[in-house]
Amino acid sequence: MSSATRPPFAPSHTLPAPGATRKHILAIDDELPILELLQEYLKAQGYRVSTASTAMEAKRIVEAEAPQLIISDLQLEETDGLHLIEELRVLLPQTPVILLTGVLFDAQVVEDNLKWKISSYVSKTAPLQSLVQEIRRLIGS
Amino acid sequence: MSTDAAQPALGSDRTLRRVLIFFVLILAVLVFVVVASVSNLNRSIATSDWVNHTHALITELDALQPTLVAAEGELSKFLLTSDPRDHTAYQEKFSELGERVDVATALTADAPAEQELFTPITDLLTRRAGLAERMAAAKKSGDTAVLDQLLAADAEHNDHHELERRIGKFREAQTDLLSARDRASFLQAQTTRWTVFSGAVLDFLLLCGAAWLIRDDLAARRLANRLLQQTNAELEDKVSQRTTELTATNAQLVAQSLEDRWSKQAIEHQNRYNLLIIDSISDAVFVVTKLMNLSRLNPAAIHLTGFEPAELIDKPLARILTLTGAAGTTPPSFDPLARTLIEGHELRDRPATVMTKNGQSIPVRLNVYPLRDRDKVVGGVVILQVLPLTP
Repeated sequence: MSSATRPPFAPSHTLPAPGATRKHILAIDDELPILELLQEYLKAQGYRVSTASTAMEAKRIVEAEAPQLIISDLQLEETDGLHLIEELRVLLPQTPVILLTGVLFDAQVVEDNLKWKISSYVSKTAPLQSLVQEIRRLIGS
Repeated sequence: MSTDAAQPALGSDRTLRRVLIFFVLILAVLVFVVVASVSNLNRSIATSDWVNHTHALITELDALQPTLVAAEGELSKFLLTSDPRDHTAYQEKFSELGERVDVATALTADAPAEQELFTPITDLLTRRAGLAERMAAAKKSGDTAVLDQLLAADAEHNDHHELERRIGKFREAQTDLLSARDRASFLQAQTTRWTVFSGAVLDFLLLCGAAWLIRDDLAARRLANRLLQQTNAELEDKVSQRTTELTATNAQLVAQSLEDRWSKQAIEHQNRYNLLIIDSISDAVFVVTKLMNLSRLNPAAIHLTGFEPAELIDKPLARILTLTGAAGTTPPSFDPLARTLIEGHELRDRPATVMTKNGQSIPVRLNVYPLRDRDKVVGGVVILQVLPLTP
């Protein structure tokens, strides 16, 4: 689908249909094209995806329906992604979180310093398939 | 597929043709049986008419001689009594005899062989009637001599015996014919029975054959239907399998397309982030090639020099930058910047001056970092910090 014919993307805040059994993922990023791609790809993989481009939207979705997994960018317009993750983990202490960022981290640095905040780290330069593998590892298909 | 569909159609046409042939044969047998039966019935009716006719003839024959005897009895009474009433009775009896002869003559009119046998009988009866008439006439006229002569002549003839013999012979011939006709009638009835029975059996066999053909055709149709259903099921399985493959391939293509878009997005993001980092530095940053030509500069560098990027790109760094020695010293006799990139080591905190676009000379502190790509120096980053002006 070309970008000219693609409908304008907007963050999804819709509640799931009753009886829905697909696992719910919350994706947070301030770049709408990134959210659009994540939602499209993860839906094709069988997940139900809510998207938020701000911290406020993310908190509203978490309060409306707790996701089984959170994917968050590091650098958001209003706040730091790691700070937002801390706030969300207060609400959902058992929910795994994947940090998805273009800021290149050393994997060992993440393991040593951020493991108490996030469950996994995936670079934006990595293929989407590796993100899906992490999701499956954390919450299954 | 088209061959499978055509085979039952051809088979059906062949079966239909055969069944039609069977029904035509059944119809032909029925027509033959009806024609033969009607013909035999007609023959039986004709035989029955003939039997009635023969019985009527025999009845008349049997009545001839008694009627003659009765008439001649009345004549004898008249000859004895001369009573007119006896004469009348004698005439009536002979009239009755004449009527019987007429009936018998009519019954034998169409049969020459019977006429041949009956004519002598008629002649004898005519002669007896004529003799009686002459006797009665002689009696009436009182001519006893003629009467005696007639009676004497009659005594010499043996007409009654001859009449009985001829009637018996005729009757025997008619009885023989009756027997023959009776046998023929029996044979006709038998023929009719066998014709009807044979036709019924043949029609039954033909109907059984047609039923067998129809049953065979129905079995073939059921088999063709099962084969068609089986073929359809196999086709549906193939279509389903192919659809699954296409769906999987499409999903892979969609996933690949998303991966490509994601990759492009990631590269753009990374580039933008990298540029953001460089552009956010407040010191003037210049990227130079290994030959010390400018390839990139950040907004702080543009602001410092006053040049637009297009005016500096691919120009030598020396156009805007000059190394200076420490206060009271002379500048080095060799280009330490070129040497830095050739030798691949850093150059830190070296004094220099920047010549701006409007001709102003600004003192700066210079740092040079070589850009290494797989252990090979491909260029360098030059960072200039503007020195505060001394009062």
